[in-house]
Amino acid sequence: MHEIEITSGRMNPEIDPILHAWGWPIPLYLFLGGLVAGILFFSALFYLRNESDKYKAGVKIAPMFAPFFLTIGLLALLYDLSHKLYFWKLFTTIRLESPMSWGAWTLSIIFPLSILWSFLFIKDVFPSISWNSKLLDQLHELVKKFAKPIAWALLLVSIILGIYTGILLSAFNARPFWNTSILGPLFLTSGLSTGTAFVILLSKDHHEKLLFSRIDMWLIAVEMFLIIHLFMGFLASIQVHEDAAHLFLGGPYTAVFWTFVFTLGLLVPFLIELLEWRGYKLPTSLAAVLVLIGGIIFRFVVVDAGQSSRWLYKFMESSLK
Amino acid sequence: MKEEKFWNPYLAGIGLGLTLLLAFVLVGRGLGASGALMRFDVWLLKLIAPGHVQANPYFSQYAQNTLSNWLVFEVIGVMIGGFLSGGLAGRLKFKTGKGPNISVKGRWIMAFIGGALVGWAARLARGCTSGLALTGGATLSLGSWAFMFAVFAGAYATAYFVRKQWI
Repeated sequence: MHEIEITSGRMNPEIDPILHAWGWPIPLYLFLGGLVAGILFFSALFYLRNESDKYKAGVKIAPMFAPFFLTIGLLALLYDLSHKLYFWKLFTTIRLESPMSWGAWTLSIIFPLSILWSFLFIKDVFPSISWNSKLLDQLHELVKKFAKPIAWALLLVSIILGIYTGILLSAFNARPFWNTSILGPLFLTSGLSTGTAFVILLSKDHHEKLLFSRIDMWLIAVEMFLIIHLFMGFLASIQVHEDAAHLFLGGPYTAVFWTFVFTLGLLVPFLIELLEWRGYKLPTSLAAVLVLIGGIIFRFVVVDAGQSSRWLYKFMESSLK
Repeated sequence: MKEEKFWNPYLAGIGLGLTLLLAFVLVGRGLGASGALMRFDVWLLKLIAPGHVQANPYFSQYAQNTLSNWLVFEVIGVMIGGFLSGGLAGRLKFKTGKGPNISVKGRWIMAFIGGALVGWAARLARGCTSGLALTGGATLSLGSWAFMFAVFAGAYATAYFVRKQWI
């Protein structure tokens, strides 16, 4: 007797598309993109308020890292592409309905701007630096002259970058967990919060630390509010959205999300910053480190959970295991 | 900021009792500490020597979903709560609590030896002062009460020999 093994329907490995197509490069990039958005936003904001010397770490030092973080993020994106040499095709078209098109163009604006912006402050941050180049001197003068318009542009593009890291995911309506418009503002808020946390870590000035920790506190409050509404929205929605919420309310992502993202990444830093604001002495840098770690875990969890959430079955096994 | 005084121990004791009651009400489990430490221990061991964990009859019971346990989350909460209440009382600094006649290094060595003994004994007794004495005691388990008296008897019997650490 000859046995023939038949794999039918959805059990056939070729029927379903690749389910976990996005590994570590995407969440890493989303984290770095949000972080850079936060850094550049506050740098431009306090520059425009003429407080560059008051908040040196926020305005001048933090932007030095921005081009490097963006480079690492973009390299991660490039690494994720199957056809790396065709990345330039994104720049042959502008499609307003595509978040990826928005992202590609936003990045192509913010990346050179971030280099110019850190170039503007390089002599303030490294006083010993000198170059024997007339061209660079002229360029420095030119950037100085146009510093205000650049700052305004940064303010705008950094917000677009921050939102885009979220709506890149929410545009996938085949992935119920991502398919919510809260993701845009949520990722923006989280990006701004990681930006302030980064400034807190860099700053040596007590007054500056306090200011940024207070801004961070409000941002975290908004973030927690948005997360609660994310789940309320899912639970009030259709069955697939309810199932998506249950990934985090008893499902495989419950422990990692509520312990590391919500409690340790948001609630504890919020309480530390709140107590500090009320005059208690607590290490703000600990809150900042928790915010940064929480931010990166948040992106990994959201990217992974989104790929587990789907229309046809409740959810697939998590790849986190 | 000035360091605040410790709570009145009787008040703190009532607070601890109410915490235990709340734990029963909210999660249906009591309090514990050494169980969580054991699980962290197994988790670390699994990273380095997974084969050993599988081969050991005691550790292998905890090889699956090592950290997925109420006690682990409770202990994380204890650390967060301790940190915040330390901040509220102005007590957040690194220091070694010790008697006047022992060096800092000596105190650390003794603390490490004592801690290792307690950890080992707690596993032999199948619980520590929180899990066995406090939680078990609250449910009026006979073993827990025997353990509690044994703990006090042991402490009174040996305190004389290690008193130099503290006086």
